[in-house]
Amino acid sequence: MIQITGLTKAYRRGRPPALLDLTFDARPGMVTVLLGDEGAGKSTALRLMVELERGHGLTLFDGRTYRRIRRPEREIGVLLPTGRPEAGHPGQRARAHLRMLAGTVGVPARRADDLLEQTRLAAVADHRIGTFSPGMHRRLALAAALLGTPSTLLLDAPTEGLSPSNEEWFGAFLRSFALSGGTVLATTRAPEEAAALADRVVTLDAGRLAADQPVVEFRRTRLHPEVRVRGPQMARLADLLAAQGGQVRRDGGAGLAVSGIDRTEIGELAYRNGILLHELADRVVQRPVSYPSALPTGSGRSGRVSIRTVRQETPERETPEREAPGAEGADDRAPDGQPVAATVGRPAGPEPERQFDHRGLQAGRWAAAALAPHPPAQAQSPAQAQVAAPAPVAAQAPAPAVPAPAPPARTAAQPPVLPAPAVDLTRRTPRGASALGGPAARPAAARSTVRPTARPTGSGAAGPEPGPGVVDAEHLAANPTDAELLTPARIRGVGQHPAPVHPFPGRPWSAGSTGLRPAAPAGRSREPGGEPPAGAGAADPRGAVHSGAADDENGSE
Amino acid sequence: MRVVASEVRRLRGVRTTWVVVAGALVLNAAAAVFTATRLPAGELAVPDAVRSLAAVVPVLPLPLTALAAAVLGALAYGNETRWPGLPASRVTVGRRLTALLAKSLVVGAAALLLAALTLVVNALAVRLALPAGVDASALLDPPGLPAAPFATGGIGRPLAAFLALAVAGGWAGLLITSLVRSAVVGILLTGALPALLEPTAGLLLHRAGRNWPVWVRELLPFQYGLDWVRDAADRTAGALDGVVLAALLAPAALLVLAAVLAQLRRRSL
Repeated sequence: MIQITGLTKAYRRGRPPALLDLTFDARPGMVTVLLGDEGAGKSTALRLMVELERGHGLTLFDGRTYRRIRRPEREIGVLLPTGRPEAGHPGQRARAHLRMLAGTVGVPARRADDLLEQTRLAAVADHRIGTFSPGMHRRLALAAALLGTPSTLLLDAPTEGLSPSNEEWFGAFLRSFALSGGTVLATTRAPEEAAALADRVVTLDAGRLAADQPVVEFRRTRLHPEVRVRGPQMARLADLLAAQGGQVRRDGGAGLAVSGIDRTEIGELAYRNGILLHELADRVVQRPVSYPSALPTGSGRSGRVSIRTVRQETPERETPEREAPGAEGADDRAPDGQPVAATVGRPAGPEPERQFDHRGLQAGRWAAAALAPHPPAQAQSPAQAQVAAPAPVAAQAPAPAVPAPAPPARTAAQPPVLPAPAVDLTRRTPRGASALGGPAARPAAARSTVRPTARPTGSGAAGPEPGPGVVDAEHLAANPTDAELLTPARIRGVGQHPAPVHPFPGRPWSAGSTGLRPAAPAGRSREPGGEPPAGAGAADPRGAVHSGAADDENGSE
Repeated sequence: MRVVASEVRRLRGVRTTWVVVAGALVLNAAAAVFTATRLPAGELAVPDAVRSLAAVVPVLPLPLTALAAAVLGALAYGNETRWPGLPASRVTVGRRLTALLAKSLVVGAAALLLAALTLVVNALAVRLALPAGVDASALLDPPGLPAAPFATGGIGRPLAAFLALAVAGGWAGLLITSLVRSAVVGILLTGALPALLEPTAGLLLHRAGRNWPVWVRELLPFQYGLDWVRDAADRTAGALDGVVLAALLAPAALLVLAAVLAQLRRRSL
C-alpha cells in the first residue's frame, strides 16, 4: 500500500511547479498506472517517492517513508530509467551482474538464477550485457529490481521503446505480480497501454492530478474506439455508414474515422455494396478528461469529495426539444451519453447527492447500466410513435414486437403536442426489482420527478411497468459486468470493448442497437439485415418513415 | 560480507580488470628485464636490485603496479556510477559508506596481490635476464636470502614499501574517482598528484631538517627521475641552441597535435 499525499515539486521559483499536490493511493493487489504526457510529472513523482529528489509531500510505503525503511530493496523494487540503455556494464555477463547485485542487496546468489529464469533470460545468462537488445536490458533491470523479493514495484516507463511482444510480457508480468498480492505503480504515456495494464489509472496533466479512475471507468470515459477506413470510394461508404448509425468523420485525404460500428460490420457493408477498401483498422483515440471524472476521489486525507449527479436535470432539458418534430438531431445525441452526462457513470438515484466512490464493484455496475438502453424508453415507444407519426398504420406495425404488453388505454387520449420523454437518463428501476414487482417496488420519488410530463392523465396505470423490468433483466444477463470485464481475457481487448456509442440521431434501429451495445460485444443484436425485436423501438417519432427518409437524411449529413 | 563478495564479482566480471592486470605484468617484466641487462658487473647492490625488481621507470608518477592498481580502483567506482544496478538503493549514507568500504577492501587486496605477483614475475625475469658478470646469489637466490631482510640497508623494507605503494595507488584511484565520479578523470588525477606531492613533501621534509630515506628515493619513480635528471645535467648554463629549444617545444607541439587529432576524430566539440 502506497499512500501518496501532496507531492509537490517546483524546480524554479516563479515557474509553474512540475508537480502540484499529487494525492492518491496505490493499493496492494492492483496495478496503478500514472498516465500523462511528456513533462506531466510522472517521473518526478516517482523520484520524489523514493526521495531521489527533494520536494514537498509525503509518500508512505505501508506507513513508513522510504528513508525510514531499513532495507528498501527488500520491500520496494524500483525501476527508473538511467539515461543509458544498458542495464549494467556492457562487458559483464548477465549472471555475474545479477549475482553481484544480489550481494549488494544481501540475498543469496541463487536468487539471481531464479530471476533469470523468471525474466526469460536464462538462455542468455552467460552472455555479455553489451550484446543484449533493449527488451533484454529492461528485463534484466526488472530482475535486478526484483532481487530483494519486494512486495512493491515502482516502475518508470517500463515499456517505453520496447517491442510489442516485450510490452506484452511486461504487462503480463506486472499483472501477475499484482495478482499475487503485490503493489505495482507504473507510469506510461500511452492511454491504451494504461487501459490494458492498469486496475486504476491516475491521470496527470501538467503536474496536476487530472483524474483518478478505475480502469473500467477510464476506458469508458477516456478511450474512444474508432475504425479507420481508407479507400477510393469513401464518400459513398460514408453515406452507407451514416445510414447504419455510425459516426463518420473525415480522417486524412482518403480516410474515414468511424465510431459506432465495428470493423467487421464495416467490412461486410463495403463488400455488400461493392466498395473497395484499402485499409480497415481498429484504433483507440484518447479523449480529454471530462469534468465529472476529473474530480479526484476522496482519499480520506484531503477531504471528502462528493458530486451532484447531473442526470436528473437532463430529461427536463430535453423534453422541450422533443416537441419540435424537426429537432431530433440535437436531442437524440444527448441520451446516449456522448456529452458530459454519461461520463458520470452513475444514475441519479433517489438521493440527489452521494459519496463519489468508485471502488466498489457496484459502482461499476451502475455505471455500465447507465449506459444501457433505457427500457422505459422502449416500453413507451408505441405511445410516442402514435404521438408523432402522422400515419397510424405504419406506427402500429412495430408495436407488437415490444415485449411489454401494450396498454390498451394508451391510444385513446393522447394529446398530439404531448412532450414525450423518449429517452431519459435516469434509471427508474432499482437494480433488484423484479419484472413483476410492479410499481410498488420503485422509489416513488424518482418516478414522480420524471414521469409526470410523460403521462399526465395517468392512463398508463400499471400496464407498461413490467416491461422495463423484463428488458432490464435480460439486458443484465446479456451484458457482462465490470467484474467480468476485468478478467484477463478482456484485458488486452481495449479496442473491442465497446465504449459509449453515439448513434446516429433519429434512427430507429440505432436507438435499439445502441441500447444493447455498451457491454456485450458478442451479444450484440444489431444484424445488418434484421432489426432486433426488442429494439424495434419504433420509439422514434420518425420510425414510421425511416425506410424512405433514410437516404436523404444521410446524404444531408 | 555479501557486499564485499559483490564487489569481488564486480571486479572479476569485467574484462577490463584482466586486461589491466595482464598489461601491468607484461610491462613490469619488460622494464625489469631492461633494467637487469644494464646492471653493472660484480656483486648486485641492494638499490640496483630494488630498482630492477620494482621495475622503476624514471619520471613515471608512480610505479607501474601502483598505476594499475589505481586504474582498478577508479574502475571499481566509475563503473558503478556509470551503470548503477540499483538506482534508488544508494539513498542512505550507511549503505554508501559500506559500499565504499567494501570497495576499498577489495581494491586494496587486489593491489596487494598484483604487487606480489609483479615481484615474483619480475624476480623471475631479472634472474633470467641478468648478464653473466653480475653476481646476484646473495639477493635473489632463495637459499641466499639475507637472514634479516628488514634490517637497515636490506632489501625487505623497499619491497614492503613497494607493496604499500601499490595499495595506496589503488585507494587513491578509488577515492579520487569517488569525488569526481568519472573513472578517466580519477585516473588522470591519480597520475598527476605524485608530481605535485613528491617535490612538495620533499621540500617540507628538507625544511624540517629531514630527508627521504634513500631507498624511498630509489623507489618513487618521479623522485628518482628528478634525481636522475639532476645528476645527469652538468650545471653549466648552456646557450639556447636548437636542441634545447626543440626539447622545450616538443611537449607543447605534442599537445597541439593531440588536440588537433582529437578534433579530427570527433563530430562535435
